[in-house]
Amino acid sequence: MKILIFDSSSLITLTMNGLIDLLADLKKGFNGKFLITKSVKYETIDRPLTIKKFGLAALKIKKLLDDKVLEMPESISIDEFELKEKAKEILRVTNISFSAKNEFMHIIDDGEASCLALSLILEKKKIENVIVVDERTTRMIGEKPENLKKLFESKLHTKVELKQDLSFLRNIKFIRSSELVYIAYKKGLIKLKDGNVLDTLLYATKFKGASISRQEIEEMKRL
Amino acid sequence: MQEPQHILEVLKEVKEAVKKEDNIKLKELSNQTVHSSSIHQDADCIMVAVIIYSLSKIIERTNYREYPGWNNFFSSFMKHINYAIIYLEKNDIDNFREELGKIRREINKLTGSFKKHIQDVFKKAEINKASRIYEHGISMEKTAKLLGISIWDLAEYAGQTGISDVNLNITLPVKKRIKLAEDIFR
Repeated sequence: MKILIFDSSSLITLTMNGLIDLLADLKKGFNGKFLITKSVKYETIDRPLTIKKFGLAALKIKKLLDDKVLEMPESISIDEFELKEKAKEILRVTNISFSAKNEFMHIIDDGEASCLALSLILEKKKIENVIVVDERTTRMIGEKPENLKKLFESKLHTKVELKQDLSFLRNIKFIRSSELVYIAYKKGLIKLKDGNVLDTLLYATKFKGASISRQEIEEMKRL
Repeated sequence: MQEPQHILEVLKEVKEAVKKEDNIKLKELSNQTVHSSSIHQDADCIMVAVIIYSLSKIIERTNYREYPGWNNFFSSFMKHINYAIIYLEKNDIDNFREELGKIRREINKLTGSFKKHIQDVFKKAEINKASRIYEHGISMEKTAKLLGISIWDLAEYAGQTGISDVNLNITLPVKKRIKLAEDIFR
């Protein structure tokens, strides 16, 4: 069984672009499950349902949960307590990792930590998994924390120290909604015909919050 | 409260910039507090950043001055800034916070479209400041929580900026990431 773990940011990008229904199509040929954690459910369904501007978007994601396109970790017997404790541990470590002006910066929050935690738990169970995350900090912590340190230094104009060993996150795999729509396009799941469809899809993810550069998009188009 | 001396200096410069109607300087001053906001994630610092940015927009939009409530609103706004400076000089943080809170409450006294415009200015200032903190490297969810805004608003706004075009963000070659996606769907 394979697992795709969705962070709030990727679900938001897909929903705001009217592409969220693609998940149902992608799930059909997928040998596994699409999971969201409780914190991600709160950020993408429960909370926006109380905000008029985003209520409809939240309902669309809720429908995917009702239809079991998206599922909760309990559906594969992941213990809620274990997940919560693992997320807490990740939050504790990551939030004492980067120090500037003698102060630790709190860089991620519950939802993001819960996705990392779920990935680590699945990895321990030898279940192949990938996190779909569009915001860049979570991805950078896993793949290249040294780049995040450099980013902080360039933006804050001060020395930043990386005080923790974050290599325990290094094996986590990340993709973005951009790669997801790329796969959907290659699988022929996109019904649009006219114009440069792949180009518009990739830029649409970028302009709704996916952390992907123009350079990366242009390279993806050439593949 | 973190860096009170820095905030005090910024607020004094705000007064001067307002006198000169220098909205660009006001935006710069607001950005100065974003560095501190990113490191310390101090609520006072963040509130000051939002208020200064809002002030820059309010000054920039000269048509607001035609609304009947303008004079009262603007003079009250600046009165609370002045008091905030005085309290900060005395290291009276509670009353400093109270004065900043009063600025937000002044909006409730407004009516009609002027009230809606000013509410909108503050809301957009929160999203703008959130975007700047996210740009500094703090995660989207954490930043949204700091500013008390929805992650949806932040994602939408951040997508319109150049944040994602920074080279340091590229943490894996394009081909490798596509391969990850292809492998999981194989």
